[in-house]
Amino acid sequence: MLLGDFGTSYSKFLDLSSARPKPHIIPSKELGTEHRVTIATGHNGKRFTDWYVNELTVLARGGEQLIAEDAFVLLDCGSRDIKFIHYTNGRLNDMGWNSECGASMGFTIELLQRYYDLDYQDLPLPVRPFSVTCGVLGMSRIFDAVVSGTPDSEAVARFVMGIAINAYRFAGSPTKLYLSGGLCDNPLFVKSIPCEVIPLGRFVLLKGLEAIASQAGK
Amino acid sequence: MNYNNVGIVGIPPLAIIQELNRHSVTIHDLDTPMIKADMELTTPYLPRVYCAILRTVVLNALHLTLDAIYIDVGPGKCDCALHVATVLEDMFAIPILTTINDDITGFGTPISQSRMGLLQKFERITEGVKNTIMPSEPPPACTPTAGFWGVPPRDFSILDLFPDTTHIYGWTRCMENKTPADHELELDYNPDIPTVFYAQSFCAKTALARHLALKHPHGLYLDSDVTAGGSAKAKIQAFLELSGVKL
Repeated sequence: MLLGDFGTSYSKFLDLSSARPKPHIIPSKELGTEHRVTIATGHNGKRFTDWYVNELTVLARGGEQLIAEDAFVLLDCGSRDIKFIHYTNGRLNDMGWNSECGASMGFTIELLQRYYDLDYQDLPLPVRPFSVTCGVLGMSRIFDAVVSGTPDSEAVARFVMGIAINAYRFAGSPTKLYLSGGLCDNPLFVKSIPCEVIPLGRFVLLKGLEAIASQAGK
Repeated sequence: MNYNNVGIVGIPPLAIIQELNRHSVTIHDLDTPMIKADMELTTPYLPRVYCAILRTVVLNALHLTLDAIYIDVGPGKCDCALHVATVLEDMFAIPILTTINDDITGFGTPISQSRMGLLQKFERITEGVKNTIMPSEPPPACTPTAGFWGVPPRDFSILDLFPDTTHIYGWTRCMENKTPADHELELDYNPDIPTVFYAQSFCAKTALARHLALKHPHGLYLDSDVTAGGSAKAKIQAFLELSGVKL
């Protein structure tokens, strides 16, 4: 059984029928008809399956698998949108999905890295963030700062910090935050979130799909 | 009464609806989408960032041939309706008649509590504003498994996501009861069932919807504008599924 998380920029797969299932990842622009799966989630997923599960449900199921606590906030930061699940007493308390003000957040962060030839592993945490509402609107703050003499790397770092704080507030400003998605690998983003952050990596949704497959098989 | 076609906004008092019915005047509920036309046509008259229901009122009024518009501006509707009444007065040469509905005689809320598709329930309740007849055979009440609190959404497609055993609360229940200004009834909800607290984006009721969702042991606040996007629908689906509601 093949599972697929079809994100805007990257798609992740897990083949449960293999001896030792291991996730693999490809850029979504390389997707073709050969990538049909048994169960899919994600922005692009409906085109590649007959069994689609929406991302919030899958995120929650993934969180249930990976987080031992019965009260937690899990935030998924994707290329195109951000979403969170808040559990208390082992059950759903709140949730959110922002595809408007969270628009293109992860995508913009990656785009800026390439455009300015930066390595987020090396960028220091800035003193203060830009006040930005979304990836698209925040771009103009970067260009304004660069024009006024701020180094590229500092302007981008302030942008990333602003975006991270927005995402944190969107998730309800928790004291502890579990993070899902590709931005787990971006230390500047993770360090910019003003609370304890536990990165779970970019395969949380695959874990959720695995739980759904297992439940369906029972 | 020399009117043939009259538009209504909100719920004018029962006495006015009775009078219109007595003269066989055709009533058009301007709050509901009646015209397939671009909402942008309303931007010369109302801001883009404004209640989608009241923008729909203006869109309908631009396309229908009406003899008068009755617009409720009392506590059973909203302050925005009062301002839209002023806009409509300057847009059209027909009478724009403001009303304040303070009816207190309840007609009952059997549809809100029945087993029936939620979309169908909303259609029956919204259609009910045009008449004053008490339903002869009200549907029986069912045991609720989910709740929908709020106003009839501009985009009814979100209603398809709920089970038939969803009970309706909030202003829509007041609407069925023909007591749109009954604030106590509007505040009512069932704490024992997962409930979506819905309001139109940019509507004053968003404050109440959000407040009640926070008070409710298992509530989800949701707002949407002209159309409900994929994320709004996904939130409803996930909320119901993760709450263990059978669909």
